[in-house]
Amino acid sequence: MNTILKVDDLCKTYIVNKRQNNVLKNVSFHIDEGEMVAVMGPSGSGKSTLLYAISGMDGITAGRVEFCGRNIGALKPKEMANLRLDEMGFIFQQMYMLKNLTVLDNIILPACQSDKIRESRRETVQRGQALMRKLGIIEIAENDINEVSGGQLQRACICRSLMNKPKMIFADEPTGALNRTSSQEVMEELAKINSEGTTVMLVTHDVNVAAKCTRVMYMVDGNIKGEYNLGRYDSVSQLRNRERALNNWLMEMGW
Amino acid sequence: MYLRILKKDFKRKKTMNTILLIFITLAAMFIASSANNMITVSTALDSYFEKAGVPDYWFAMTSEQEMERFDAFAGENGYHYSCTRLIQIDPRDVTVSGAAFEYGNSLCLSAIGGPRVFDDSGKEITQVSDGEIYVTAEIFGSGENDFYEGCKIVIASEGIKKEFTLKGYTKDVLFGSSMIGMTRFLVSENDFALFQEKNAGVMDSIAVYTDDAEFMEKFQELDAQTIMAVNESGIKQMYIMDMLIAAIVLVVSVCLILISMVILRFTINFTMNEEFREIGVMKAIGITNFKIRGIYIVKYLAISAIGAAIGFAFSFPFGSILMENVSKNIMVSESGKFLLNFACVAGTAMVVVLFCYFCTRKVKKLSPIDAIRNGETGERYSGKGFLHLSKGKLAPIPFMAVNDILSEKKKYVSMLLIFLLGILLVIIPINTINTLQSDRLIEWFNMAKFDLVISQELLFSPDGNNADRIQEKLDEVRAVLQENQIEADVFQEIMFRFYISCGNKKKSSLAFLGVGDVTTDMYSYLEGTAPQNRGEVAISYLVADEIGAKIGDDVKINIGGETRQYTVTAINQSMNNLGEGIRFYQEEELDYFYAGGSFGIQIKYTDNPDSKTIEERKALIKKQCPDADVYSAGEYISYMIGNVAQQLEGVKRLILGIIGCINMLVAVLMAKSFIARERGQIAIMKAIGFRNSALVIWQTLRIGIVMLIAIILGTLVSAPLSKLLVEPIFRMMGAYSVEFEIIPLEVYVIYPLAVLAITVFAGMLAALQLRKISASEVSNIE
Repeated sequence: MNTILKVDDLCKTYIVNKRQNNVLKNVSFHIDEGEMVAVMGPSGSGKSTLLYAISGMDGITAGRVEFCGRNIGALKPKEMANLRLDEMGFIFQQMYMLKNLTVLDNIILPACQSDKIRESRRETVQRGQALMRKLGIIEIAENDINEVSGGQLQRACICRSLMNKPKMIFADEPTGALNRTSSQEVMEELAKINSEGTTVMLVTHDVNVAAKCTRVMYMVDGNIKGEYNLGRYDSVSQLRNRERALNNWLMEMGW
Repeated sequence: MYLRILKKDFKRKKTMNTILLIFITLAAMFIASSANNMITVSTALDSYFEKAGVPDYWFAMTSEQEMERFDAFAGENGYHYSCTRLIQIDPRDVTVSGAAFEYGNSLCLSAIGGPRVFDDSGKEITQVSDGEIYVTAEIFGSGENDFYEGCKIVIASEGIKKEFTLKGYTKDVLFGSSMIGMTRFLVSENDFALFQEKNAGVMDSIAVYTDDAEFMEKFQELDAQTIMAVNESGIKQMYIMDMLIAAIVLVVSVCLILISMVILRFTINFTMNEEFREIGVMKAIGITNFKIRGIYIVKYLAISAIGAAIGFAFSFPFGSILMENVSKNIMVSESGKFLLNFACVAGTAMVVVLFCYFCTRKVKKLSPIDAIRNGETGERYSGKGFLHLSKGKLAPIPFMAVNDILSEKKKYVSMLLIFLLGILLVIIPINTINTLQSDRLIEWFNMAKFDLVISQELLFSPDGNNADRIQEKLDEVRAVLQENQIEADVFQEIMFRFYISCGNKKKSSLAFLGVGDVTTDMYSYLEGTAPQNRGEVAISYLVADEIGAKIGDDVKINIGGETRQYTVTAINQSMNNLGEGIRFYQEEELDYFYAGGSFGIQIKYTDNPDSKTIEERKALIKKQCPDADVYSAGEYISYMIGNVAQQLEGVKRLILGIIGCINMLVAVLMAKSFIARERGQIAIMKAIGFRNSALVIWQTLRIGIVMLIAIILGTLVSAPLSKLLVEPIFRMMGAYSVEFEIIPLEVYVIYPLAVLAITVFAGMLAALQLRKISASEVSNIE
């Protein structure tokens, strides 16, 4: 397996009221292509900061992050923006979308802005609609974003993140604002996307969500305290065992 | 608790609170200075006239016999009058700071007398020392001569030569307007006597003070030969050009107040919308509506009090900048400024709090969850915009710019209104100024079309040789033209003042006779046909209206005591003396003894030269007539209406400056407000890979599009609005059929593009601020 993301000695420090706050302390890990990695840990442990730092959404204080062999710290803002547009997909806890656009327009927006896939607007729209159909939200295509439920909106966000056929999806608590049913549906979609070859890295507090991943990293106080390799699962019936095992491991970690 | 919440609020929402403070300051400044200027300008002329003691009637006579007749008439009827002697001086006999005095109208010299005269500081001039001289503000500020306090003015007339030191300029109510066509140099009694001794061109300026409503009728019965006869309202109308500038300042002031109100409404609505989420939380935890509203009212009261105080301080210098162009010729009252400005800024602060009060009224109606949804109840019956990225071919950035405007029209309407008012404030004055500087005024002044004027004003003398002198001058010009093989008609307008009557209605009016190579069909008429024979006249709309004459009517004109009958064949328009005019057939026999003056010698080329050739010929003629002023048609008209065009240019520059600054400020502050509010959206767009440059273009495009719509709307409505607002002023000046001179390239392209460029540039600079927003802020969106 090729490594898609390689992180070495990553540090992130904030200065708050002249006090240095080391949020990430020499974090090192790597993610291979096709993996689905969950980052867990208590609140304030640096999970989201790690996600934003490695995806180039936020600057880093020290260390090195390589995405597809490119050192993102050395990229110019314009190159970084292009990398995010073409090779990365993002899903956030809140279903952030542009309020003056319809759901479908929001979904196809990155594709319209990108030159990665050469196609007509009509083809872009068809791709967007196909994704919506796949995620079961085609009926809300022409709706305004405040006319749909949270679960539908989060699935629309997944569609948006997939529009440019990214190599990796970063998700920050993608089910955090959803009810159990919606949460399950969204996770199933992410797992399906992962099984189709897209690497996924997500931050979560939910063991059920993390149990669907191939690997779980546990963060405490700005450092990765441990890793748990779950591997892939073949059937839904295996999930309960995975959850139980993960729970035990998390307990050991101090969860 | 209030204080703690406010303190936190000021700290947390620094950008929006600062923007609100700046807008309130601007609004307070605009409103205070504009309201003050409106009152000052609208009462300026009346208070000036009262202070100066303007007579009820004003005449000028050149004949001693006529003066004696008037004296007897005044004695008989018990009229009180004052008489000031004036000596007519040829402007060519004057040098200013060593250079020839550039002035084309009549010039006279007098000692103090008649209505009160004031210096530049508004103090009455009661005495002029020997060797000192004052000139009027109008010519002092015209920029054509090198006038400055202490400069040397030499007058050499009829063998008397004296050097004077310029003491300053006067606000001279009778001679201070360029429309009077005459200016006065004020000297001491002794200096005046020195020139009077040998000068034949003496004239009496008579100021009559009476309440007798029948004075004019009785005076008309006297049939006195006057070279000028106006009542108080006539004198007032002579300041129409000053009033035109004042009116423009007034319009600017009204627009600034409107702009301020729109800005205030926008800012308060905008900032209040920001507060709704907090309001929702407060409602949810059980804080009463009264207390919630109280917090915001106290907050806005505090901001508006600070803004009003700063605006109050700035309102004085800003108001003075606007008034500078109005107060040159007339006195403006300075009293009561402080109180009025204070009242205005206090009013502005009150309006802000009232706006806030009404905005927070919504708090009562909203449920906590409605408030959390930014004040929206969640009910909506139509989609936000009708554009879809998926259904068009527009690229995402321009699409989003257009879509945002269409989706949130209310938000952009304020901006559009401000930009529209601004663009109208630019286009309308420019149309007016261009019209005032165009060849169209030749017709409005009831002159035949010409290409060049040699300004050699004739001083008519009672020696009976005036006709020969005129012919001589015309022949001199013809000779110069022949020498240079230039084919042209050469002619001149001779001005008279006669009484004209129809039935029992009588009026004193200017009358014109074209001499030289000119015929009556070379003039334009509103109705009827040009006079074709002796005994036929065309009269101006104003004269026809006042004496009740129509085309085909017989009118009587008193010429030197002889009453002649004429048939009216046409109605024309005339801006001479605010609408007066009688046009005689070119071969009418009139004794030039009664002539009151003339225009310059007009040259109309008959070989249709292009503009380049006209310019070359002008330079050639100027070279061959070094003593004369040579004007092109536009220059001559501009010169005839005084330096108003220059003043208007000043006002135009001022307006452009103000509009440029307002647009810049509005663009910067609105762009900052939008960025502050759309921080989350910007972060999302960055997160999904939009570059900074694309986002800056998105933000800037919205401002640019709104400005462009304002320009298009402004262009569409400017022509009818110019007509509506400015035509009545031209009508008061005697022009009844006004076609505006519109230079499309300047009015619809250059200036709007300049304003657009300034606005877009300012918006772009402000939008650059979004570079500081990090994509990771997505996690901090409230």
